Amino acid sequence: MRDNKLKYVLVLPAILVVFATAVWPLIESLRLSFTVGRLTKPNFPQGYLGWENYTWAFLEEPAFWNSVQVTAVYTIVTVVLTTVLALGLALLLAPGGKFRGGMQTLLILPFAMSPALIGVSFRFMFNPEFGLFDSFFGIIFPPLAEISWLSDPTLAFVVVVMADVWGWIPFLTLVLIGGLASIPQDTIEAAQVDGASGWRVFKDITLPQLLPVLAVVLILKAIFSLKTFDQVYMLTNGGPGTATQTLSHYIYFNGMKYGQIGYSSAVAWLMVIPMIFLTYLYAKHVFKKG
Amino acid sequence: MTGKQRKRFWNTIQIILIVIAAIIMITPILWIFLAAFKTHVDVYQLKLFFTPTLENFSTVFDAPYNLGDKLINSTIVAGVTVLFAIPIATCAAYSFSRFKLRFETSMLVMILATQFVPAVVIILPFFVMFRDLGLLDTRIGLILVNLAIVMPFAIWMIKGFIDGIPLDTEEAAMVDGSTRIQVILNIVLPMAAPGLFTAGIFCFIIAWNEFLFALILTNKDAVTLPIGLALFKGEEGDLWNLLSAAGIIIMLPMFVLALIIRKHFVQGMTMGAVR
Amino acid sequence: MAQVLLKNITKRWGDFVGVDNQSLEVKDKEFLVLLGPSGCGKTTTMRMIAGLEEPTSGEVWIGDRVVNDDLPKDRDIAMVFQNYGLYPHMTIYDNIAYPLKVRGTPKADIKPRVEKAAEQVELTEFLQRKPKALSGGQRQRVALARAIVRKPRVFLMDEPLSNLDAKLRVTMRAELKHLSRQLQVTTVYVTHDQIEAMTLADRVAVMEKGVIQQLGTPDEIYNDPENLFVAGFIGSPAMNLINGSVRDGYFITTGGTQLVKVGGGDRGSVVLGVRAEDVDIHNAGQGDIDVPVYAYENTGESVMLTVQFGKQRIIAKGDRHLRKEMDDVVGLIVNPEHLYLFDPETGERIRQD
Repeated sequence: MRDNKLKYVLVLPAILVVFATAVWPLIESLRLSFTVGRLTKPNFPQGYLGWENYTWAFLEEPAFWNSVQVTAVYTIVTVVLTTVLALGLALLLAPGGKFRGGMQTLLILPFAMSPALIGVSFRFMFNPEFGLFDSFFGIIFPPLAEISWLSDPTLAFVVVVMADVWGWIPFLTLVLIGGLASIPQDTIEAAQVDGASGWRVFKDITLPQLLPVLAVVLILKAIFSLKTFDQVYMLTNGGPGTATQTLSHYIYFNGMKYGQIGYSSAVAWLMVIPMIFLTYLYAKHVFKKG
Repeated sequence: MTGKQRKRFWNTIQIILIVIAAIIMITPILWIFLAAFKTHVDVYQLKLFFTPTLENFSTVFDAPYNLGDKLINSTIVAGVTVLFAIPIATCAAYSFSRFKLRFETSMLVMILATQFVPAVVIILPFFVMFRDLGLLDTRIGLILVNLAIVMPFAIWMIKGFIDGIPLDTEEAAMVDGSTRIQVILNIVLPMAAPGLFTAGIFCFIIAWNEFLFALILTNKDAVTLPIGLALFKGEEGDLWNLLSAAGIIIMLPMFVLALIIRKHFVQGMTMGAVR
Repeated sequence: MAQVLLKNITKRWGDFVGVDNQSLEVKDKEFLVLLGPSGCGKTTTMRMIAGLEEPTSGEVWIGDRVVNDDLPKDRDIAMVFQNYGLYPHMTIYDNIAYPLKVRGTPKADIKPRVEKAAEQVELTEFLQRKPKALSGGQRQRVALARAIVRKPRVFLMDEPLSNLDAKLRVTMRAELKHLSRQLQVTTVYVTHDQIEAMTLADRVAVMEKGVIQQLGTPDEIYNDPENLFVAGFIGSPAMNLINGSVRDGYFITTGGTQLVKVGGGDRGSVVLGVRAEDVDIHNAGQGDIDVPVYAYENTGESVMLTVQFGKQRIIAKGDRHLRKEMDDVVGLIVNPEHLYLFDPETGERIRQD
C-alpha cells in the first residue's frame, strides 16, 4: 500500500477509538442534557425538556452554585499552592547533587498511587481517633489531638486541598525541574558575574525564562483540579454536608444516586465550558513551540 | 559573612528543606504501609511500635471481601487494555510522527482534548449505553472504557519515542528495497521497543488505578481493586488495618512497575507539558 | 593594579584532576591566552579565576588580594561566554545595561554608558531588538558590549569566537584585538584555536591534561617550543616530528636515512622537529635526499607535499606554482637553522649550544 493511503489507515483505529469513546459520548451527553426523567423508571427518557435542565441549575438550585463555588475555590487554591511548592522543590533539587536521584525516585511513588488511595490515606491520617494527630503529633502537642478535621467544613476542605497538593506536587516538580534544566546555564552565570545576587538572578533571569513552562504547568494543574473526583469521593464523599462537593462529585451524585441523568448531563456540559477554554490555552502554548 | 560561608549556610538550609519535603512526601505512604501490618487492636490503640502481622493480607482475600477476585479483574482489565491500546497507538503514533496528514492538527487536538475531558461528562452516556447493551458490570465494558482513557497518553508517549528515532535507518532500508510496513516491523518496532514497554507500563498503571468508571459501571462481578477499597466499612467505622492492606495490594505492584521504568517515567510524566 | 595570580591551583573531581597544581601570573593590562585542546583544563582555570568554580586547593589573587572566598560578582570582573549568555527575554539595551543596573548605578549614568558601549561594538541601531533577532556575530558583540560597559579589572573570555563561521571569526579577531588595545584591561582568553592565540596574545599559556606546558610570547612558543606537545600543537600544518638518532653530529632516521647536520654528540633516540616551511623542495637529485610524493595539496597560497621515506611521512611547504603528482620523486633539503631535538621519552626539548 502506498504511503499516501497507509498513513491514514494507520491512524484510523486510534481515531475510531477516540471518536467512539470520547467524541460520541460527549455528543450523546449533550443530547441527554435536554431530557428529563429518572433512570430507574422503565420508560427512559420520559421526555424532552429543552433548556429546562440548564435553567434549573442556574436559577433554582443552590447545591449547584455551592459546588461551583467549591470547585472554583478548590481549583484556585490548589493550583497556586501546588505550583508554588513545586517550584520551591524544583529549585531545591534542580542544581543536582546526591539528593536529586533519591528524591526523584521518591517523587515517582505518589504519582503511581491512585487518587482514590490518596483519599483513603488522608482520611485515615486525619481520622479523629486513629489519625496522625492522635498517635503522633497529639502526643507532642496535645491540643492538636482535639481537632476534628473531617467534621468541620473548613478543615475538611483544607484536608482535601492538602491531599490534592500532595498528590500533584511530584508531577509538577518534575516538569519544573525539566523546565529549569532547559534554561541555559550561561545566562545564569553571566548574571552572577554581572553582579546579581541569588534572589536577583532568580527574579530577573530564571523566572522570565521559566515562564513558558510555568504557564503550561498552571493550565495543566487547573484542568486536573477541575476534574477532581476520586480522592474527594474517598476522602469526604463531598462532606461534611456539601462542603467539599466539587462539580464532578455533584454530577456523580445527581446522576447515580438520584438518577437524574438529564440534569447531571446538563451540569456536566456546563463544566465542559471552562475545560474547552483551558484546553484551548494549553494547545495554543504547546503547539506554538512545535 | 564571606561568599563561601554564605554558600555553605544556604547549602545546609537546602538539605534541611529537602529532607523535610521527603518526609512530607513519604508520610502518607508510610502511614498506610505501617497500618497494613497492624492488627485491628493496634490501630485502635494508636500504637507506634507494634508487632507486625500478615493476618490482614489473608483476611482481605477471604469472604466477604474477596479481594482476590478484584485483583484478577484489575489485572485482566488493565492487561487487555494495554494489549489493545499499544498496537493501535503505535500505528497512529508512527503515522503522526513520520507523515504529514490532512487535519493533522485537528486530530492531535482532539486526542489531546480527551485527556482533559472530565470523566463525569462522558460517564452518563456510557452508563445508559452499557445498560442497554448489557455491558454493565462486565470486564469487557471496563476494557472498552479504559481504552478511551489510555489511548491519548499512549499515542503521545509513543510518538515522542518515535520522534527520537533518527530517520536515517528507515530511509536507508527503503532505499535498499523495504516496504513501509516492513520498515515499521523490522526497524522501528525493535528500536522503539523500550518506549513501547514504558508506554505500556504507564497505561497499565493508569488503567489499574482508574476509579470513576469502575465505580459507576460495575457492581459485583467486574469490580476492580480500587473500588474494592470501598468495601471495608465496618459497623464501627472503617476497618483501617484491612483497608491499608488492600491499599498496599493496590499500591505495591504500581510502585514496582514505576520503578522499573524509572528513567523513562520522568519523561513520560512530563510529556506534553514541556515541549 | 589588576594582575591575576594563580598560586598552586588544583581542581579535582573525585579521581579526575582537571588542573594539576599550576601557578600562573597574568601581568597588569596583559592579554594572556590559555591555549590547548578540549579537556586540557583551560576553561576550568578561567572559571576558577571568575569564581564560577572553586579550586580544590591553591589561591586565586586578583589585584592585591586573595579572592578565593569572593563571589563572582564581588571580583570586579567581566566575562564573555562561549554561547554569549545573553538574556533572551531582554532587549539588547537591557542586556548591556544589566551589569550597571544590578550594581545600583544611577539611572542617569546608565544610558550614556550603554550607548557608548554599543557604539564601540557598532551595534547602536540594534539596541531595541531582542537577542533572537540578531545574527551570531551580532550577539557576540552584544556580549562584548555587556562586558565593557563597566570598567572591570579583568576581562575573561571563554572561546568567544568558536561559534562563529570561519570568515566571521577572522574579522572578529581583528575587532577584538583593536578593542583590547583600546581598552587596556587585563584579559584572560581561552581558546583551542592556535591562530587566535598567536594573533591576539601578549603571552600564551599552552595547556595539556591540566598542566601548563609552556608559558611564553607567541614568538617563543612558535620558534622555541619546550616540549613535543607544544611543538606539535602550534603551527599549521603541524611541525614534522621524525624519529631517529644522532651519529657523528648527523640526524639519522630510524629507517637509516641521513637527513641533516644537527651537531652535538651521539644520541640513542631522538625526535627531530622541523616545520614544513623549513623543508625546501627541489627536483630529484638536487637535494640532500630523494623521496616519493605521497600526496599533493594546493591550498592556493602555497603547495603542501607529503613525502614518504621509510615508514615516516613529512610535509614540506612549497611555492604555490609548484606542480607535482603522486609518486613523483623530489629532492629535499632540510634547513639546519630551525631544527629542534626532543627526547622521545620525556618529550622535553634537548638544548645544545
